[in-house]
Amino acid sequence: MKKILFSAVAAAALTTFASSASAGCGQISMADMNWPSATLMANVDKIILEEGYGCEIEMVAGATTTTFASMNEKGQPDVAAELWINAVREPLFAAMDEGRLHSARKMPITDLGEGWWVPDYTLAKHPELKTVLDILARPDLFPAKEDPSKGEFIGCPAGWGCQLSNINLFRAFEMEKKGWILIDPGSQAGLDASMAKAVERGDNWFGYYWAPTAPVGRYKMQMMDFGVPFAGADNWDGCIAKAEQDCADPKPSSWTESEVHTVVTTNFKEQASEAMDYFSKRIYPGPVMGQMLVYMDDNQADGGDAAIEFLLSHEDVWTKWVTPEVAAKVKASL
Amino acid sequence: MDFWTEIPSLGKRDLRDLKKGIDSAFKGFSRKYGDGIEAFFDPLYYFLVWLEKLLIAAPWPIILILVAGLSYLGSRSWRLSVGSVLSFIVIGYFGMWKDMMATISLISVATVICIAIGIPIGILMSRYDRVQAAITPILDLMQTIPIFVYLLPVVMLLGIGRVPGLIAVCVYALPPIIRLTNLGIRLVDKEILEAADAFGSSYRQKLFEVQIPLALPNIFAGVNQTIMMALAMVVIASMIGVKGLGMPVLQSIQNQYLTLGLMNGLAIVALAIIFDRVSQRYGKRLQAHRYGKDHE
Repeated sequence: MKKILFSAVAAAALTTFASSASAGCGQISMADMNWPSATLMANVDKIILEEGYGCEIEMVAGATTTTFASMNEKGQPDVAAELWINAVREPLFAAMDEGRLHSARKMPITDLGEGWWVPDYTLAKHPELKTVLDILARPDLFPAKEDPSKGEFIGCPAGWGCQLSNINLFRAFEMEKKGWILIDPGSQAGLDASMAKAVERGDNWFGYYWAPTAPVGRYKMQMMDFGVPFAGADNWDGCIAKAEQDCADPKPSSWTESEVHTVVTTNFKEQASEAMDYFSKRIYPGPVMGQMLVYMDDNQADGGDAAIEFLLSHEDVWTKWVTPEVAAKVKASL
Repeated sequence: MDFWTEIPSLGKRDLRDLKKGIDSAFKGFSRKYGDGIEAFFDPLYYFLVWLEKLLIAAPWPIILILVAGLSYLGSRSWRLSVGSVLSFIVIGYFGMWKDMMATISLISVATVICIAIGIPIGILMSRYDRVQAAITPILDLMQTIPIFVYLLPVVMLLGIGRVPGLIAVCVYALPPIIRLTNLGIRLVDKEILEAADAFGSSYRQKLFEVQIPLALPNIFAGVNQTIMMALAMVVIASMIGVKGLGMPVLQSIQNQYLTLGLMNGLAIVALAIIFDRVSQRYGKRLQAHRYGKDHE
């Protein structure tokens, strides 16, 4: 009897809590992840949800795997704005199937991902370069210092996962035979500096990078279409992404798609159903994100400063994500 | 009350403008003079490439004979010579031959450059107290400044790869040879110098026939330290794209490949020990020889 009474009280308490929460959205914890685009998005979300939807947001610092583990195990934090899921794919999909976690928005930023890039002026000067295949036919445009008769392709820093993929794609496209040298920049600092040096002087540069990042925004780098389709997950996961000796016969392929989601907990979904609508519309165009990252870099702005800058200077972007009333509230708060 | 709790500081905006101003001035400098500076270092770059390719292309038995010969010439010790050859064979057997050759080419060129720059500076410092007062803080700076602070500007000027790597290695490895040359010459007995004066020797004679020979143990300790420090920088140099034993170490750090890291790390240690023992013995032998002649 006691037990039944207790559970009835508990259920009542829960329902009152739930209903009061949905009225005001309530307390939400949000992951503030440790790279610029994620912290910017988290801070924009914080302002919009607090001012526009009446939530109370608490920010929790974290990295991809730690944040995901905490969301998966403890249901906290409630929101991860920019979760790169390749590293946590299996447990994430398991949690989604069980209904504990939900994707509020797939690909919250456009033009994101990894690939091979060149500066925009190279393409302007050589409009015939439409795909990676076209570039591979022209090693003379990217002469290597070591041996100017060959082209220079800047790969991924030693020890990163992408190092293997770049080495294997280098083999798959038979780039050595086509007159290319693969350069290992050694570290991200080396990779960034080699790009910066080339672009500052107006030289051509061809190498691996990823977006959204400040260098891509600053130097107006263009991700090249590979000119070949994605050759299947077997080829990628079973060969390209493995060590050279475990990948006997790599096939040319475009880069595997990087999937990024805004992930929320069930708790959030029920508590803040209106905010779910906001998330579903919230897409940052790649160039806008690039501009914002350059702004953050130049001004050494933290996520909070950058979020205000974004809301002030890109009204046309974010007002489409919310209802006019919410937009008015957010604007008034700035 | 704010005075006591808040240290007076440049405003956030001024500070930012200052940093941006210096950054963009440097970028402008790099745009304008970068190609010229790069061209200045080109001979060095091509020499490094040539040496590395030569060492890699040379048949391995010839390298082993060279190693045996050079280490014997340096140390006059069969045991050391055999030990060096054995370590080279083991390193090659474990698939690190190419990386080792790349590292050796960089380290030997760096050591030669450091000695060529360092000993004259050390001599100047020992001669003039003012030079010593001016250079000592620079040496302190070179040894303690975090490497990436100067490495990134250098990479912006010269690109990634061997030359910036060489500069990084030299910045770190140069101070010991300068300090110990200076110290060695200053430690030469004043009475011996007085005797030399009494014989009417010129400054030149005093320097080359009295001071430097007597300072050799210290100078050789400096050479030895320079080689050690150059080898210690191999991994850092790899962080700006220098090929060699440092690359696999970086790879292993990122991926927790314990064995790969250990093998390449030990290969660096083996090189260090060989260079160290040979150069030390050589230094000692030089001394013994001189003392021997003096006593005759």
